[in-house]
Amino acid sequence: MNPRRFLPQARPRIAFLIPVVPVILAACNKGDAQSTFGTNGPIADTQADLFIFIFWIAAVVFVLVEGALIYSVIRFRRRGNDDGSLPAQIHGNNKLEVIWTIVPVIILAAIAVPTIITIYDQDGPPSDQGPVLDVTVRAHQWWWEVEYPGEDVVTANEIHIPVGQWVNFTLHSDDVLHSFWVPKLAGKLDIIPGDVRELAMRADDAGFYFGQCAEFCGEAHAKMRFRVKADEPEEFQAWLDSMRRPPVELVSSDAIAGETLYAQNCSSCHSNNTWQGPNARNERTRLAGLRTAFLGDIEGTVVYPAPNLTHFGTRETLGAGLIELNQANLEKWIADPDDVKEGNRMKDLATPYRNRSLSTDDVRQLAAYLLELKPVAADAVIDTDDGATGGSAVERGAAVFTANGCSGCHSTGDTRIVGPGLAGLSSRGDDAYIRESITAPNAVIVEGYPPSVMPSTFGTTLPPDQIDDLIAYLKSL
Amino acid sequence: MTTIAFPTLISRPTSYTGLWSWIGTVDHKRIGTLYGVTAFLYFLVGGIEALIIRGQLAQADNDLVSPEVFNQLFTMHGTTMVFLVVMPMSAAFFNWMVPLMIGARDVAFPRLNAFSYWSFLFGSIFLNLSFFLGGAPDAGWFGYANLTGSTYSPGDGVTFWALGLSILGVASLAASFNFVVTILNMRAPGMSLMKMPVFIWMALVTSVLMALAMPVIAVALVQLALDRVWDTNFFNPLAGGDPVLWQHLFWLFGHPEVYILILPAMGIVSEVLPVYSRKPLFGYPAVVFAGAVIGFMGWFVWSHHMFTVGLGPAANSAFAISTMLIAVPTGVKIFNWVGTIYGGKLRLDTSMLFSLGFIAMFIIGGLSGVTHASPPTDAQQQDTYYIVAHFHYVLFGGAILGLFAGGYYWWPKMTGKRLGETLGKWHFWVMLIGFNITFGPMHWLGLNGMPRRIATYAEDLGWETSNAIASAGAMLIAIGVLIFIINVIRTIRSTQEAEDDPWDGRTLEWSIPSPPPVYNFAVVPQVKSLDDFWYQKHPELLHDERGEHADSTEHAAEEAHTGGSIHLPGMSYYPFIVALGMTLGVAGFMEVYVEIPGTGGQFPWLSAIGIVIGMFGIMGWTFEPVSEEGGH
Amino acid sequence: MAQVAVAHDPHGHVADTNTGISNRKLLMWVFLASDCLFFGSFIATYLVYRNESTIGPYPNEVLDIPVTSISTFVLLMSSLAMVLALNYTQRNRAGLARFWLLSVAALGLVFLGFQVVEFTTFVKEDLTIHRNLFGTTFFILTGFHGLHVFLGVLWLLGMAFAHFKGALTSRSSEDLEIAGLYWHFVDIVWIVIFTVIYLIGFSDGEGLETVGHAASAIGG
Repeated sequence: MNPRRFLPQARPRIAFLIPVVPVILAACNKGDAQSTFGTNGPIADTQADLFIFIFWIAAVVFVLVEGALIYSVIRFRRRGNDDGSLPAQIHGNNKLEVIWTIVPVIILAAIAVPTIITIYDQDGPPSDQGPVLDVTVRAHQWWWEVEYPGEDVVTANEIHIPVGQWVNFTLHSDDVLHSFWVPKLAGKLDIIPGDVRELAMRADDAGFYFGQCAEFCGEAHAKMRFRVKADEPEEFQAWLDSMRRPPVELVSSDAIAGETLYAQNCSSCHSNNTWQGPNARNERTRLAGLRTAFLGDIEGTVVYPAPNLTHFGTRETLGAGLIELNQANLEKWIADPDDVKEGNRMKDLATPYRNRSLSTDDVRQLAAYLLELKPVAADAVIDTDDGATGGSAVERGAAVFTANGCSGCHSTGDTRIVGPGLAGLSSRGDDAYIRESITAPNAVIVEGYPPSVMPSTFGTTLPPDQIDDLIAYLKSL
Repeated sequence: MTTIAFPTLISRPTSYTGLWSWIGTVDHKRIGTLYGVTAFLYFLVGGIEALIIRGQLAQADNDLVSPEVFNQLFTMHGTTMVFLVVMPMSAAFFNWMVPLMIGARDVAFPRLNAFSYWSFLFGSIFLNLSFFLGGAPDAGWFGYANLTGSTYSPGDGVTFWALGLSILGVASLAASFNFVVTILNMRAPGMSLMKMPVFIWMALVTSVLMALAMPVIAVALVQLALDRVWDTNFFNPLAGGDPVLWQHLFWLFGHPEVYILILPAMGIVSEVLPVYSRKPLFGYPAVVFAGAVIGFMGWFVWSHHMFTVGLGPAANSAFAISTMLIAVPTGVKIFNWVGTIYGGKLRLDTSMLFSLGFIAMFIIGGLSGVTHASPPTDAQQQDTYYIVAHFHYVLFGGAILGLFAGGYYWWPKMTGKRLGETLGKWHFWVMLIGFNITFGPMHWLGLNGMPRRIATYAEDLGWETSNAIASAGAMLIAIGVLIFIINVIRTIRSTQEAEDDPWDGRTLEWSIPSPPPVYNFAVVPQVKSLDDFWYQKHPELLHDERGEHADSTEHAAEEAHTGGSIHLPGMSYYPFIVALGMTLGVAGFMEVYVEIPGTGGQFPWLSAIGIVIGMFGIMGWTFEPVSEEGGH
Repeated sequence: MAQVAVAHDPHGHVADTNTGISNRKLLMWVFLASDCLFFGSFIATYLVYRNESTIGPYPNEVLDIPVTSISTFVLLMSSLAMVLALNYTQRNRAGLARFWLLSVAALGLVFLGFQVVEFTTFVKEDLTIHRNLFGTTFFILTGFHGLHVFLGVLWLLGMAFAHFKGALTSRSSEDLEIAGLYWHFVDIVWIVIFTVIYLIGFSDGEGLETVGHAASAIGG
């Protein structure tokens, strides 16, 4: 089977070439945002190079074997003038069998060697290329929580990294399997609940890289996307610093009204004050809550964490890298999250959706408020006065109650929302009992209420004087 | 032997026509037909599911179906095509052809054979009932823990999936035991292992793989079902359970399963090519050995489905090497097939076209497989449409085209009529072109970053054109299937009868009438060589060629021990009854309880009914003699 | 079709097979090979999860090796009885054969009795299939084996019934031989399970370390 013999004879049986055609038609665009070609980091570069290497070997084998097949079909098809005699009855050829066993082994060895070298090369960040930035990513159904350990910075769905520096992602899952994938920077790695995975990568060019969960994780899997924003190192440092500064003064009347709405409706699940320090957030994970329930052998409670919204206005996308962040899109999201991302949990769980209590105005004001959540400039005077210092203890306590989102779960009347209504609280226990209920909510759980729902972090996030004020306010109800 | 007197529970069916004769049948040919018809119906179901999937993905941000429904569709499409189409369609050909090709009058255990079919049918119905009882399973055909746990999949869908597949597993196990025993024990005199047709070899390897692989998935499914129904902790991370264990168990089954799906088609192609080339199979021992090696090595490659799980560089390297090695025997098969047609006189009939299409497409699937046998490149390709493209080239371009080749090849033997050649060729070309238009672009989609199992995608990613092309191709495949259906209907209506040996065949099934009589062989054949029937027709070849064939088979028939009478097993309803009881018993595990008044306890009434029916069936089966004494 | 003389074989007896092993015996061998994978998967699961429980009771707190050693001895003796039952059946010594056949079933029932007592004790000590990984893997693995023993006992009682009816003689002793294959297999598997669970399953404290590990994985 000399290849030169059949090349001139091979008439186009186009069917066999069809797989190639659409690929050409689709105009192989390396620039496509999630393409595994046109990569921007050493891990993905090597993976793409290795693929191209194997691809060309496969392409040569493809042409030779399909060529031999098509040649044989055309050359040996029965002609019209066939005399009905039998062709030569060949049963086999041991020499050929040996050849076509050995040759593939050699070809595959040529593929295996660079493969295994690459596997070991890509096992963790290199030790000789400068300091490595640690980033912790916790995957949730269906969004990503991002934390910079040691930096006191928490954010969601948009991961800032510095250009030119190796980044080691520590990957956790809060519920089911996910897979962390930024095609332009590195191949994917699965995230296993109850276990930890680490994936190292480096971006060589500044850019806004697309990422997506690559392991089927339930209803909204298709929309569990994210972005990696690779900044020049000084920009990255500036961003990191900005995440620790307080937000700017609200300007528009919508935003000011939105702040109150946020405190009442959103703040029991979403934190937006992580600039104060990592303790300021509602640090809850679903898995930890379920685990407490499992070990205590009690009915499991569903605790859903929500994306951190600190300095939300600085982000560029919304809904886990789904749509551009602007007033119109944000209003659309708040009005009906399911319309943007079917399956997401906000609409099922959050009180305002269950009660249908958000008006169009509320939605607009909430969106305005969130978009104004931006850090003050680096040289601005930092005013730590949060407005809760004047007035009586009861008034100050009311401000604390609102600012910390207590109203998300507790009514000030008798109605049960998630937690009990708080009217007439003073008759249920003394100061010490109320204090304990705030700082250690799981110590005493009233019959009929689920444990591990209320954040147990207020004891550390609230200064003692604010807790005193809060107790004064609660007793006044 | 003294038989125990026992009241006849249900009188044995006697009529050879009508519905009851089908329910009571133990004839391997009729059971094969039942398998084939059922599998083809599920092929249409799975195809419709695929068309809806392609419709949804035809354009960006489409909302033809909700994500919830989409997840059910792709889960059921995969489950259906693997367990309800390719496996039973292979079983149909095993049932029909294994006894005919080895010169036997039936399989070793005809009633067990019937039990396999009925379990398969009831299990598949049970699985699909989920569509009407609260939603089909939606956690993928791979059912990765812990998404399948009751916390994250609270409905009944996944329980239907776990229990339904368990029933199907019982069916597959029973069938595999039967075929292993049949092939090892019931070959015609003289048919040593290396004189068996390649199809029989592949049936043997497949059956051994099934016998050993189905238990692994069965255990995983039982663990999953127990996790969901009895709150055990097998895959519960809260208790320390590891979701990755599921993946190991699933793929330890799953990779042999891939060969369970493809080896029968490879066997068919190995039969078809020599017949239409009018030449013996090139390198018969190599093809047989390669098949057996694939079946063996298939056990050591499962973790290549888990390259991105993070098992560490040592595991990934080891499985990369084993995966690349398994390409070698696969390549050997392809080279030998090309060697078979090289130098032949090819009759390009439909069956031959499908076989050639199989080889051409399988080469593509095999080569794309090599590209992701390398873990670093697989890190980019895993869980993308590149993988979807790859396994459709192997399982559609491979298994489905191979099974169609078998359909066209054996149709005259099975029905006594030939499928139309003109429509057949239209069927082939439309399907082949449609197939490539559908799955070709998916290679690019995957490399362009499109993950699998996504219900929709945004328009800013450059995936729209390729998806639109793929969806258009799916319509073409549907048209191809439609042409096949028209061809079948026209053939059934035609009155033209096929010859006993229309293709100048090589194996024993062509030596008997079309369709075969109920007893298959009036005289048990004596086999002297591989392709014995061919050499009976061409005795001169024996002298031309290898000396070992020199002792002619001319007098073989006279030497055969005709034995005077033909023993056939009697019909029986008990396999049907036992399968029904088992299915009900398992179905009752879906927390179908009734409160016991006064105790607070629960009584699983459905399981109880199932157990009673099953026990009754087993009793009847045990005490029913294999055939009536004295006959009729 | 009906014109052809289709006589029915009164014994359902298949003539000589290619392997020389009867179809039914070969079926049993194939089934046992398959069953190896069933048990293998359950045993592998048990081994993977050994010392991974995040909460007690741990194996060393509940397992009673001396008692289970006795039940293991009982099951081993049942295999001896099985051999004798087959031997006497083949030699047409009906009385002894029946005695030993019933002994096998009785010893199997004793083994099951031990298992029932063990399970009940564990549940009283708060070890359930739901409580922790050890409970899950222990009950399901030993329960799956217990189910095999139970079905074996039913089969043997059926054999004994046939024996008393005179249907089981030296000529049909292969029926008993096949049941014996099954019984010996179930017995051998128990040796493996006994080793894995009771003999190498002990390690104090490791379970507690795992709690810390799992907690850091989940919380961290």
